[in-house]
Amino acid sequence: MATVLLSQGAAAQSACTAPSADCMVVGEWNISLSLGLGQRTNPVDGNSDIPLVVIPQISYYGKRFFLENLELGFTLHESDANTLSLIAAPGYDRIFFYRNDLQNYFVSGGAFGLVSAPQYNADNRELRESEYPMRARRTTYLVGPEWTFNYGRLVGQVDALYEVTGRHQGYEVRAALATALIQAEDSLTVSAGLTWKSAEVVRYYYGIDRLYEPGSALNPFVKLAYSKPLSPRWAFNAFAHYEYLSDAIADSPIVSGHGVTTVFAGVVFKVL
Amino acid sequence: MFSKFFDCIRSLCLAAALCALTGAAAAAPVTNGDSIQLELRPRVCTLSARDDHCDTVVEAQWRSPQDESLCLVIVGRPEIKRCWENFSEGLYSVKLVFSEDLVVELRDPQLHNVLVSEAIQVIKEALQLRRKRRQPWSIFN
Repeated sequence: MATVLLSQGAAAQSACTAPSADCMVVGEWNISLSLGLGQRTNPVDGNSDIPLVVIPQISYYGKRFFLENLELGFTLHESDANTLSLIAAPGYDRIFFYRNDLQNYFVSGGAFGLVSAPQYNADNRELRESEYPMRARRTTYLVGPEWTFNYGRLVGQVDALYEVTGRHQGYEVRAALATALIQAEDSLTVSAGLTWKSAEVVRYYYGIDRLYEPGSALNPFVKLAYSKPLSPRWAFNAFAHYEYLSDAIADSPIVSGHGVTTVFAGVVFKVL
Repeated sequence: MFSKFFDCIRSLCLAAALCALTGAAAAAPVTNGDSIQLELRPRVCTLSARDDHCDTVVEAQWRSPQDESLCLVIVGRPEIKRCWENFSEGLYSVKLVFSEDLVVELRDPQLHNVLVSEAIQVIKEALQLRRKRRQPWSIFN
């Protein structure tokens, strides 16, 4: 039944017949640069909010292989209605702890993603280090299947990922739905979804040895995004994104609140 | 005896008549396209995925066993016309921009009948497209 519904829904999707924002030319690099003003709040206590100013975006699509900033994947099956891929994606939470994390320069998919290095409050950090033994949070990569489906104007996606870089062996499930409220020359899209992080993931980033050992976390989010093409190379983009951090994360002594809010408005220049 | 003689005479007469007809046919001037050869260069124009037209010098060369009076025209290009009178071969070259198959014709001087026709085929490399990966939770999707 679900297959039938998805197949019927796919009929509403336009076929990929010409290059566009949604249809990528196989074998070509796509590079763009976003310039604007924005900010993301930093949930880690003592670390300042993160400014969003310049955001590079790089992508490449082969017949099956694809690269989207720091994420890469291999598509096993693709039709108008469904796409099944194996993907590798970095663990995002690290960006709140390290200013030199690559994800602070490349904004990609995932619940988190920043551009500009967060400014640390050194005094506060020293205080926290004296209160809690601080440990390293290494770069991690998660690997797993990704299913994307189209049903009418709805786009849905589910990722089931496992950490393979040997840091915490945790799991993440990311699921979301998006739909276009306006789909003309300009577009207005609303998205909602959630990220489930296993206890291993939450403990690795937000736990404190023998003091705070949280369980798994389920973080819902909503996002509103607006885009308007200005010319073949320029576009205006704006979005607002709110993520609610569940108690397992928010109750950590190193986290200051339940919400992460991101807003941005600016222009996007297509370099290639 | 006599019948064999008459059969022989009849055969000789038929052979002579056939030879006469064949010889007459060979001597008559022919202006049909069967014997005219037309060659175009390039034979094909291959466009890359990013190109939308061919921009090249087209060379048309024709030959005939006998003298011909004819005109070269290009379909859809009324401004291009080159005529020859009593020639057995001809060469014409012109720089053209085209995006569809280019059809070159040799016609009689009144342009009523097509004697021979050839085309330069335009082959466009197909763009391979993929739907961009959608990430509803991503900032820019």
